[in-house]
Amino acid sequence: MRSPLTRLSPGDRALVRRRLRTPFLTFLALLALLAVNVTLGASLPFAHVWIVELAVVGLMVAIILLVSMEVRKEPPLIRLFSGLGFFWVCILFGMTLTDFLAR
Amino acid sequence: MTAGSIDAGLSGRDPHTPESTLDRPRDYLHAQSTLRSWFLTTDHKRIAILYLTSITLFFIIGAVAAGVVRLALVVPNGAILNNDNYNKAFTLHGVVMVWFFLIPSIPATFGNFLIPLMIGAKDLAFPKLNLTSWYIFMAGALFTMISVVLGGIDTGWTFYAPLSTAFSNTWVLPALIGVTIVGFSSILTGLNFVVTIHTMRAPGMTWFRLPIFVWTHYATSLIFLLATPVITVALILLVAERAFHVGVFDPAYGGDPVLFQHLFWFYSHPAVYIMVLPGMGVISEIVPAFAQKKLFGYKFVAYAAIGLASVTFFVWGHHMFVNGQSDLASLVFSGLSFAVAVPSAVKVYNWTATIHKGSLRLDTPMLYAMGYIGLFVLGGLTGLFLATLAINQHIHATYFVVAHFHYIMVGGTVLAFLGGLHFWWPKFTGRMYNESWGRVSALLIFIGFNVTFFPQFILGYLGMPRRYATYPAEFQLLNVLSSAGATILAAGYIFPMLYLVYSIWWGRRAPGNPWQAKGLEWETTSPPPTLNFITPPKVPNQPYDYPIKVTETGGTPA
Amino acid sequence: MNSRGAAHHDGAKVGIELAHHFETVEQQRYAATLGIWAWLLTELLLFAALFLTALILRVTHPEAVKLATGHLKFWIGAVNTVVLICSSLTMSAAIEFSRMGWQRAMVRAMLATAGLGTLFLLLKGYEYYADYEEHMMPFLSRRPYELHESPASRLFVNLYYVATSLHALHLFTGIGLLLGMTWMAAKAGFLARHQNWIEVYGLYWHFIDLVWILAFPILYVVNRGA
Repeated sequence: MRSPLTRLSPGDRALVRRRLRTPFLTFLALLALLAVNVTLGASLPFAHVWIVELAVVGLMVAIILLVSMEVRKEPPLIRLFSGLGFFWVCILFGMTLTDFLAR
Repeated sequence: MTAGSIDAGLSGRDPHTPESTLDRPRDYLHAQSTLRSWFLTTDHKRIAILYLTSITLFFIIGAVAAGVVRLALVVPNGAILNNDNYNKAFTLHGVVMVWFFLIPSIPATFGNFLIPLMIGAKDLAFPKLNLTSWYIFMAGALFTMISVVLGGIDTGWTFYAPLSTAFSNTWVLPALIGVTIVGFSSILTGLNFVVTIHTMRAPGMTWFRLPIFVWTHYATSLIFLLATPVITVALILLVAERAFHVGVFDPAYGGDPVLFQHLFWFYSHPAVYIMVLPGMGVISEIVPAFAQKKLFGYKFVAYAAIGLASVTFFVWGHHMFVNGQSDLASLVFSGLSFAVAVPSAVKVYNWTATIHKGSLRLDTPMLYAMGYIGLFVLGGLTGLFLATLAINQHIHATYFVVAHFHYIMVGGTVLAFLGGLHFWWPKFTGRMYNESWGRVSALLIFIGFNVTFFPQFILGYLGMPRRYATYPAEFQLLNVLSSAGATILAAGYIFPMLYLVYSIWWGRRAPGNPWQAKGLEWETTSPPPTLNFITPPKVPNQPYDYPIKVTETGGTPA
Repeated sequence: MNSRGAAHHDGAKVGIELAHHFETVEQQRYAATLGIWAWLLTELLLFAALFLTALILRVTHPEAVKLATGHLKFWIGAVNTVVLICSSLTMSAAIEFSRMGWQRAMVRAMLATAGLGTLFLLLKGYEYYADYEEHMMPFLSRRPYELHESPASRLFVNLYYVATSLHALHLFTGIGLLLGMTWMAAKAGFLARHQNWIEVYGLYWHFIDLVWILAFPILYVVNRGA
């Protein structure tokens, strides 16, 4: 077990930078998108702003799935499973709304 | 395997000789014998036996409740059971049969036991999770039983709000919590099956070499995963509603009970296929084995399983035609419901085409399977009546519905369960049951079932509503007929329990493959060793590769 | 960033110990990954049913939902979202360190993740307390409800409690599992036997984050109105 106080060598530092680049960029992207949504939510610039907000959320979800959860690197079956649930959510919402939107 | 010669050579039972197990490979039943080795086992076969024992117990409870209901309906004036007790009796029957018998029945027992065997694996992908799901099942089911011990519930198995949340004065909360817990057991079982089928197949076992039993269990497992969480939320909201007056389903605050029904049926309609698809898998194994013929249209049957599991998510609203949902929703749900008939019919046609010109042996499993096909057709066709909006208005919530779903659930699932139990009993226990007793039981159940439930189609069509303790006197004859049928059915259920248990000790020893059936599970010993196969299996063949030329004896060439 | 603990050139051996019922390590790893995705499939539908209920409330009672949303603690929700996004970063870092075999750094990243998760729960608890103080707990039958003149607003506020407490329960369980795993992962040889546990757990953590990313706008943001 290494000591926590050992200084990182330049090589290790480069390695860490390389390995954590993607998580860190993802982090920044998510914060930026959240900032957009919080601003929109706090200022309510126009009617039906919720459409934009939901689009931003969709983007955040896609980033988490594809990048943070590494779906883009997974084999096709895992990709299928990561998307399948959303398709079933659409069934649940769509079919229920045929009732509530048509009453 | 020397299965055929043993089967042909022996007649009558051989004397019970415990020593003979010594020169056999250690099978899973005899590998260890402590109680601990059963209750902490991670062997999928032992867990299947745990499930088999527990769901049999729940079947008995549910069947006794059904007997009480039929007894009460012998008289039209409710003299045997008053309204409250009648409500509790049919609720107990429904809750126990649906949640604790039908849903886990075939998947948790046969699926658990057979999927690893059929795909040539040593166990399911997550053996500890498998045991956990049995404990969750027992915890939830026994929790629900608390409400029965305390005095019962009267909401029906559907727990509709606002009856369950505002009006019922019975022990609804423990039942709701128990059923919620049991849901997690289904989810974990489904998860285990999905992963196992994807990742644990033996070399050469491609998707289109999988037995249909595995295909239908794959489809069922997807329903477990995708539908169960929605009813979990529906039940959590019910609990919150009853305990804290959340209001989401309460019209007094502007909530909508119909929303509960949407969430409930998003699970509970697909749950019909949780109950039916595994049974279809069982029939698809039995029919080719006893016709000694390749399953007709294998790929169509496989696709039909996936098709049913998908279409079933689009039709839940047909349970709600008269509850005030929008006309558009009713139209859409009605139209889509007819689509269910297509994959169902594909399966029935393929089974009958398999039987056609096969060399039939009408042994017990085949008798159950043929009973299944007939009753499933009747149950399925009456489903089309119910899917029709105008006819539904007339027969909604009548005994027509009761008869319809019992033809599917009992005529379908229970017959498939019993057929499968007889078919794989030699594999489970290493013993043969008495064949003639088996045939008698199959016949008794077929007759008893039809006498019980066919009159209910007529009663429903004539307008007798379900869930009432009393009825007009002119319906008494048909009700008495139905109750009389229930006694035959009861005898048909008790009889197999007796001779199957008897066979465990005194039955003749089973060969590895008593039916000359195809499939990896028949290539290992009966009962199989702990890790299933002595030599790792390879799969060079298509499934159901029964000989194309059928010989006079129906035997398979080497 | 918690990479300070990592030193050079002495990363632990990384791998998976083969369980008795699998044939290869690849098969075992694939099964675990597929298993967690199947579980997440279920979790998605679980929360989807609650989000559907929120949508139906908005469709049936738009004004009451708007009124109720105005009383939710928008800024605490926003800060909590930031906290969870940070925890996703530390979880991703833990996964990367586990792959590199930097066990000490991984353990620290996991502890940071658990810490951020706890911070979320503390903020959530404070939010509930503030709601209580403002009489925004309509499910408490003995306590007056702030928006009593709008009975339908009860529904959305109560649903907010069901949804957020279910999410909090997931987070609480997640922190418990994470701490238990961290305890095991700090022992020598863990990464040589169970490296993929970190990856599998990471998927669960990211998913709890994803659920909150959905829950925050659905409960706090999209129904805001003048």
